[in-house]
Amino acid sequence: MSKVKNWQLGREMDYPYEARFPERQFAFVFNINRCIACQTCTMACKSTWTFSKGQEHMWWANVETKPYGGYPKNWDAKILQMLQKADPDGGYWQQALSDAGSDRTAPYGEYEGRTIFETNDTALQTESSRVLGYLPTDDEWNSPNIYEDNPVGPKGVRNELHSSGTELPVHDTWFFYLARICNHCSYPACLAACPRNAIYKRPEDGIVLIDQEQCRGYRKCVEACPYKKSMYRGNTRVSEKCIACYPRVEGTDPESDGEPMETRCMAACIGQIRMQGLVSLSEDGSWAVDRQNPLYYLVHVAQVALPLYPQLGTQPNGYYIPPRWVQNEYLEQMFGPGVERAVERYSFPDRELLAVLQLFRRSNKIIYRYEIEEGPLVYEGSYRGRDVRLYNDTVIAFGRRGQELFRTQIEEPLYVRPAVHANSI
Amino acid sequence: MPYNDPDPQDPNVLVGVSVPATGDVDHAMREMAYAFAEEFAGLGYDEEQLLSLFRRPFYAGAHRTFQVLGEAEISKIIRESLGVWGGYRIVVRDTKEDSCPK
Repeated sequence: MSKVKNWQLGREMDYPYEARFPERQFAFVFNINRCIACQTCTMACKSTWTFSKGQEHMWWANVETKPYGGYPKNWDAKILQMLQKADPDGGYWQQALSDAGSDRTAPYGEYEGRTIFETNDTALQTESSRVLGYLPTDDEWNSPNIYEDNPVGPKGVRNELHSSGTELPVHDTWFFYLARICNHCSYPACLAACPRNAIYKRPEDGIVLIDQEQCRGYRKCVEACPYKKSMYRGNTRVSEKCIACYPRVEGTDPESDGEPMETRCMAACIGQIRMQGLVSLSEDGSWAVDRQNPLYYLVHVAQVALPLYPQLGTQPNGYYIPPRWVQNEYLEQMFGPGVERAVERYSFPDRELLAVLQLFRRSNKIIYRYEIEEGPLVYEGSYRGRDVRLYNDTVIAFGRRGQELFRTQIEEPLYVRPAVHANSI
Repeated sequence: MPYNDPDPQDPNVLVGVSVPATGDVDHAMREMAYAFAEEFAGLGYDEEQLLSLFRRPFYAGAHRTFQVLGEAEISKIIRESLGVWGGYRIVVRDTKEDSCPK
């Protein structure tokens, strides 16, 4: 085991390999407050990558209803329970949160507790396991979002849906939709567990891939990935996973015109909850200061976007703006101790945050930098007991070569897409 | 979704969970309704489109708030949100390079 620095945990941790960091890291922010579970992302991914025989159960991108759902069923409850069993006294955060990027190496304090790489041998499922995990059963993979997979019709009647929706489940308390893809972790559990060294992290963009030639289908990656985003394909007898639409990210997809482009699931999102980018890293793997990068701003300056289950230790590169209506206890377990601050700041966004939120899904090209040109005050009033001021600020997004991608302003006429392009994304 | 009712004897079926909740259903639903109304008002949805989002049973989150709070209350929330966040439109000016290839 090597010692590696995990900035999300604010400490060093054990990992089977030495730390190696890519030139840039694939990362994304999902705004849960906007997700209505339309599943357009799910189907965009499915129709691009997993439509073939043997991939029927595979949903590299999925949206699950929390706290009830999960794909595979109860994946997070199960791994958290295993972690707690392996380390009953651990699992809490120490020290205060650091503010507005003042400590990029420990923004959430320090995690006291073992990660999935640090449990002792007795906690591991099998002798050949290197990482705490479990292999989901076929049944657990069967329902991408149990009871909300698809609305059903009356029994025995084909091709008809209940128009009232009364057959859908009823949740009488808070719930929210968690959209998930592979987190392309900085310390991937799948990579750590593979006995064939078939999994690698690309040095140019940190995308984690399974070499289909090297893989022999031992399913150690399926067992180890705590997010359960490695999946076994029975008819080819090898495992597969989200490839972050790398031809698009590389700019080699014909549609991308040579410029880095966001993935299919990002581009298809009708709720405009998603933004994906490539962030610069420091030598220790923490994010290098890049103040005008929108992802850096959301994660390290505004600190409204938080990692998913950071306590697992893989340093995931997917970040979420937590839903503002959900209780803190639950959200803290899922996103760490920065939740209260994130919800507060998102609920009462300042001028810059409001402007940066306008960058979501205005272009399919990856945004490397933004600038704001301040405009006049256009609205001032009271809303739900608080003062609201809106400004006609112009937000300008720039691409890899520093070229302008687009600019947004408010109080302008809405552009209606011509009918011929009505469904182009 | 399974086409049969869940079998409570099936150990794989989730039959009960305990999670912290406010106990105040109305409060949670109201916050949820405001969040969806504000977010989508900000995206340029008008009153009719917003109400349609809440009415559709297939958007289970928004629709549950519609069922619990009722159409009148949801309409009020929508109008309140539109009053602030729907008073403007966002226009995006793409550069030529970002235009769709022919």
